[in-house]
This record gives sequence, C-alpha cells and structure tokens, in this order.
Amino acid sequence: MTISAERPTDTVVPHETPPTPPRIPWAQRPGWMSQHLGTAIVVGFIGYVFGHWLGNYIASGYPYIVNSGQNSIADTLALAFMVVGWLLGVGALNYPLAKLIGREAPAEVEVKGWSKYFRYNTDHKVVGLQYVVGVILFLFTGGLLAMAIRTELLNPTTHVFGPGTYIEIVSEHGTIMMMMATSIVVGPLGNYLVPLMIGSRRMAFPRIEAFSFWIFMAGYAVIFSALPYGGFTTGWTGYAPLQTQNGPGMVSYLLGFAVVGLGMMAAGFNIAATIINYRAPGMTWSRVPIFVWSILATAALLTLATPVLFSAGLFGLLDKTVQTAFYVGEHGGSSYLWENLFWFFGHPEVYIMALPGFGIVGEIMPVFCRKPVFAYKVSAAGMIGVALLSFFVWQHHLFQSGINPDMRPLFMLTTELISIPTGFIFLVGMGTMYRAKIRFEIPMLFAMALFFNFLIGGITGVFLSDVPVNVTVHGGFFVLSHFHYTIMGGLLFAFMAGLYYWLPKMTGRMMNKKIGLWHFWTMFIFFNLTFFPMFIIGLLGQPRRVFTYAKNLQGLNDFSSISAFLLGFSFLIFAANMVWSLWISPQKAPANPWESLGLEWQTATPIPLHNFDRIPVILADPYHYSEENPPAVADLGEDLVVTAASSDSNPS
Amino acid sequence: MTDMIQDRGGPQSTPEEAEFELRAHLGAVWTGGRLFIAMYTFILASLAFSYFYLRSSNNAQLWRPHHVTAPTYYGFFIYAFLLLSAGLALYGQWRLRRGSVTDWQVAGWTGVGSGLLALFLQIWEFQKVPFYPGSSGYASTFIGFAVINIATIVIGTYWLETTLARALRLRREIGGVDAVLSQHPSAQSLRANIASMTYFWGFIALASTLFLFMFYL
Repeated sequence: MTISAERPTDTVVPHETPPTPPRIPWAQRPGWMSQHLGTAIVVGFIGYVFGHWLGNYIASGYPYIVNSGQNSIADTLALAFMVVGWLLGVGALNYPLAKLIGREAPAEVEVKGWSKYFRYNTDHKVVGLQYVVGVILFLFTGGLLAMAIRTELLNPTTHVFGPGTYIEIVSEHGTIMMMMATSIVVGPLGNYLVPLMIGSRRMAFPRIEAFSFWIFMAGYAVIFSALPYGGFTTGWTGYAPLQTQNGPGMVSYLLGFAVVGLGMMAAGFNIAATIINYRAPGMTWSRVPIFVWSILATAALLTLATPVLFSAGLFGLLDKTVQTAFYVGEHGGSSYLWENLFWFFGHPEVYIMALPGFGIVGEIMPVFCRKPVFAYKVSAAGMIGVALLSFFVWQHHLFQSGINPDMRPLFMLTTELISIPTGFIFLVGMGTMYRAKIRFEIPMLFAMALFFNFLIGGITGVFLSDVPVNVTVHGGFFVLSHFHYTIMGGLLFAFMAGLYYWLPKMTGRMMNKKIGLWHFWTMFIFFNLTFFPMFIIGLLGQPRRVFTYAKNLQGLNDFSSISAFLLGFSFLIFAANMVWSLWISPQKAPANPWESLGLEWQTATPIPLHNFDRIPVILADPYHYSEENPPAVADLGEDLVVTAASSDSNPS
Repeated sequence: MTDMIQDRGGPQSTPEEAEFELRAHLGAVWTGGRLFIAMYTFILASLAFSYFYLRSSNNAQLWRPHHVTAPTYYGFFIYAFLLLSAGLALYGQWRLRRGSVTDWQVAGWTGVGSGLLALFLQIWEFQKVPFYPGSSGYASTFIGFAVINIATIVIGTYWLETTLARALRLRREIGGVDAVLSQHPSAQSLRANIASMTYFWGFIALASTLFLFMFYL
C-alpha cells in the first residue's frame, strides 16, 4: 500500500462520538504518587536488601562460601533483585504483568512538563533525550577514572595508588567506557532521530525502547557497584582465570555486562524492526538516509552479537555462584572459552561503536559541503559489508593466547579484508568533500576531525592485524593508543558532531558557537597530544595495566598526562556550553539552521507526539544539494513539499 | 476504523494512514518474532559452542568422567512436555486459521499447562542431578543449559498465555466468541502475535531436540 502524493482521500475521518481524552498510564502520571526515578531508586534498594538477605539465607552455610568468606550468591542475588526492583519501581514491568490478564498496551499520550524525563516514557524523543543524559553520565564517570589513571602515570616511582587499586581503576574505566560506547549513538541519536528520518510517527515497540534505556541505567548502577565491592582486576576484557580468582567486584562486572547486554539487544531489536517496517511510503532502500543505514547495520550487530556476551556473562556468574567450571581448566572448563565467547561479541562491538559514527558524518557532510553524498550506494554497502565481516575476525584478539598458530593467517586475512569496506566509507567522506564549498560549522569540524583521527586509528589497525606486528606490540600502549584513536577519535568526535548538529532540533536551542569552537579545538588538539605519544611509548615497550614504567619514559608519559587533563578540561567546556546555551543564555534555534533536506528538520519544533501531521510521502533521497532542477524530496501533505530549492532559500 | 485510528495513528489519521500504520505494525510483529528467534539462536549457539569446545578440549581429562549423565527420564519428560506445548501451539494456530477459535483456546491452555509442567520438572531436576556443577565440563554446560532452558520455557509459556488471555479480553471488548478472527485491528494484531509466538515455540522445540541428544542421550 502506498499513500499517493496526490492524496485523493486526504480527509480526516470524523469521530463518531466526541473523543474522550486517553487515560494516562500510571507510570507516566505527573506527581509524586506515581512511578518515577525516585520510586525506581527506592524499590531498587529494597530489592538489593532483599536479594542479599535471600542469598545469605540460602547459601551462608555452604562449605565453599564458609571457607571463602565471600557469599557470591548473596552478592549476585542482591544486584539481580536490585535491577528487578529498579524496573518495577519505574514501571517497566507494569505492562508485561498486565499482559498476563490480557490487557492491551495503553494508548500513547503526551505528558507535559519536565517530569516526563524522569519516568518510563514511551515517546522516542523523550527516550532519546534520557539517553543523552545517561551516556553523558557514563562518559563523565569513565572520564574521571581516566584522569585518575593519568595522574598515577605522572611518575614511575611516586605513587598515588597502589598497584591493585590502579588496575581496578583501569578495569572500571575500560568497562564503563565500553558500555557507554555501545549505546552512545544508537541510544540518544538512534532512538530520537530514526523515526523522524524515515517519516514514521512512532517506534515499532516503544515499551521495549523505554525498557532498553532504563535497564541500561540499571547496568550503570551494577557496574558502578564494583567499586564499593572492591573492584576487579581483569581489565575490561574480564579474562579467566583471573576472572575466577576475583572477588565480588567481578560479579558486578559479569552481571553489569549481562544487564547492559539486555538493553543493547532490546534497543537493536526495536530499531531494526522500526526501520524495516515503518519507513514512510516511497522511502525505498535507496532513499534511506545514510545515518539510518548505519543504525540498521549496528542494530543487526546488537541483535546478533550481544546474545553471546549475555551467555558468556551468565556462564561466568554460574562459575561464581553455583561453582560450575565453564572457565576453570582444572575442572574440565577452559579459560579460552571465555576469550572466544567474549571476542565473538567483542569484535563486532568495535563496529557497533564505529558504524554509527560513520553514519553521523555521512549524514551531515553533504549538508555542510552542499553536495550530494558521494557514492551513496557504496557507503550503504560498506556499512553492511563491515557488519557482516565483523563476525569473522574475532580470533585476531587471540593471536597471542589460545589460537592454533596455523589459524592465524586466516584471521589476519579476514581482519585485513574488513579494511576494504571501511575504506569505502572513508572514501565516501573524501569524495563528498572533494571540491566542495565547505561551511566550517562546528558539526562539520568534528566530522572532519573524525576522518583525521580514524585515518591514524584505522591504519594502525591494519598494521596490528599483521601477526608479527601483533605479537611484538601485544599488551602494550601501542594497542591502547590504536583503539582510543578509533573509538574516542572516531565515535566520540562523531557523537559531538551529531550533538552540535541535532541539539537545535532536539532542544529548540542553538549551541553557542564561540564556546563550541573552544570545545572543538581543545578536544581535537589535546586528544591527539594525549594519545599520539602513546604509540611511541608503546613501541618503546611500556605495557598496559601496569602502574609503573621505565624511568626514561617519564617525559612522554607526563606530556601525555598533562594533555589528558586538558582533554578532560575540554569536556568541561562542552558541559559549560550545554548549560550556557540551554539554560543561562538560550537562543531559539531556527526551524532548519543548517538548511538540511533531512526529514527530521521538516517537522515542527518542539516536535509533536506523533512527529508528522501527515505521514510524508518520500519522492527522492535527501542529498540533492546544489543541483540544478533538484527533485522534490518529500511531500509532507497539506501542500508542503520539501525541495532543495526551498531548503536552500530557508535563511538560517 | 475509528478505533483503529485512535489506536495506531493518532487522533488525526486519514484512513490511508491508519491502514498504513496497521500494516507497519503487523509487519513489525512479524519481523520482531524473527529477530527474537535470531537472538535466541545466538544464545543457544553459544551454549552449543561451549559444549563442543569443552568436549574437544577435554581439559584435565574432565570433560565427562565416568560418562556421567543428567537424569535421562527427567530430560525426556521435560522435552516431551515442551514438545507437546509447542505442538499444541502449532496445532491451535492451524485450527485458528480454519476458523475454530475454541480448538485454539483448548490447545493453547493445554499447551500452557504442558509448559508449566516442563518448567516444574526442569527446576526439580536440579534436585536429582547426580554430579556437582563444577565436577566436569559436561556438568558445567548441563547446568548452563538447565538455567537457559528454564528461562526459555518461562518466555515461551508466558508468550502463549498472554495471547490466550488477550483473546479472552478481546471477546469482551469486541463481542462474540470469534472476536479473535475479526478484522478489528486489535484482532489482526493478536493473530500476528500468535503467529510469531508459534514460530518461536516451534523453533525452541526443534532446538531442544538437539540439546536432548547432546545432554541426555
């Protein structure tokens, strides 16, 4: 079925009876007596206490618990019941329970006021903004831990922390950042923008979408609990047998990843179903925005790779609680089993982080270059190619441990192969910029910085896939620098580009340009000054996760640490810009400040509950900038047609 | 149609838009069911991978010392009840397509009962397992399988029960025993949901056959 452009039956069906206002679900009702963040915290705490009591009641007499002095069953049940209590408290389980007695989902209603951001809300725009705050919380927590790491590395002999505390900080930093990075684009921007970009009025499964956010935040509480539990010393990779030897902090790690994994699966599942089914009439696959392609590829990875992480975490928890031996070689298990399961998820995860970044820059570059996106189909194919190939490279993480040496060349080859579709995406960016009259707005600066950073990160990645090099620099700062260049230099810069680009639509306020320029230049310069020396430090032999190092490396380490502090300062500038632009000196954003053809800019601001008054009919892809006689892009109904000419003439 | 417009497209939808929204919703239920199976495939595949990985590694000669086996009778009955539940769901859907709502409901509620029996036995089996969880690779993977199977049966039975409960309530909302067969959007949505549930439950029954051979036979 299509909705024709002429819309011959474009009339609203009158209601037979005057419509009664829909009932607001209890979880979304304003006021303290309903469900919200506060009740989530209270019921989560009650769940924690109950779980701990239950675990002690069940297991405190078990010989292995008496002998170890740690009741991992109580720790696990406490955290698990905390998560359940959190979900109960916020209202996430109201509908699944109501379904048992046959109730249908309540109608979607618009809830006014700021309190909706503290509730279980099914509006994708509210969830998107909730995610913005959530990932920034993750980001700043992980960032503070990074500052602690660099403080310790200022001096090889004078120490701020002991070696145990240091590795616990490193582990917590890595895990929080990785959890954050898996959701930093899909969560805030994916949820907010995808329905708008495909011309949909809603998500396919709005309750699953809201669930993905609230369980993501429960995951934050669980992984953060590792610190008061005494931390864990495995790094973010959680390798056995160290995993088995660790204390209750390891339970937080394993359960935290499983909980965040549930959120990732829910988010991927919902977004994939939405893109496949809710595209507006006329939005064929060749008209889907690049950003949506990247989110679709990412959603596929989230849906298929994350279950393996979930299983791996479950097996680890069983090892910790009921004394199975999945990862205990002496009892018939294998520590390499963890490595395989973890990296089967872990390497696609790299692309879960990279692809949305490519999607953001692919989306905004044509806007600031005022050119059609170069080789659109190659870009989309590149993203799908990366997603597919990412399932066949995980063994390169095991070159040094556990892999049959004869298998190394195969995985070296597959790893090098993946650089081809990645290169496609890179070339699409270069082609789009080629001979363009670039508008150097802040989102564009961040997008260009991504290509600079990712070039370094990507090339060192190909370099590292080579077995002899990999064996030589394994476990050192070279690898560390490589993945910070790809994840932070790629994803985080893209996220910033996306925020500066879309926040005017999301908040109705323009970000301050002058402060934004300060933010960009400090972040770009100090990011490179922090991480580039680490390539040299790594080649000179400094290992990761060790709190001391050779005296002759102090100069480079100090340079890197001071740059890292200034990099941290750049994030404070970003926070200051948010506060300044949104609250202290807000400037109303024009309807379409960047003169974009994207559908998301064609709606009213603030965006109504159902996004579009009429479901748009898509007539062309949204990249026909600076063309003579550009085609109409979309018919929004009621005589509103989006064309490049109308967009270009729209004053910013 | 008015109800449909209120349900899906917002209060100002045209008939075309309301129908478009409904089709998108039905498609999403179909896609969601398949994606859920894909997710579950990877969960079960990671369990199967662990089984074969530890079996081939046979570390410390402790893959399966003395050929210990989980209680076969329990395993068989759990499998039989799960198969019965899935089979009844499939049969019920087949009857529903032919217009027999009562047959579907009887088969469905029997399937729920069968699923609950499978769940009870799977939990009770922990009492009868003749080995310590960490005594071998086999023992570990079996415990992992049992935990995942409990979750699977809960999910499948819950899904089946909710479709049946929804049909009962739909009968009151729309009216008539055959409300589930009507063209009302809620009924169409429920039928799509039933189809996805049946597909998932059938897939689980097939996968369980593999695990029956791996762990019990």
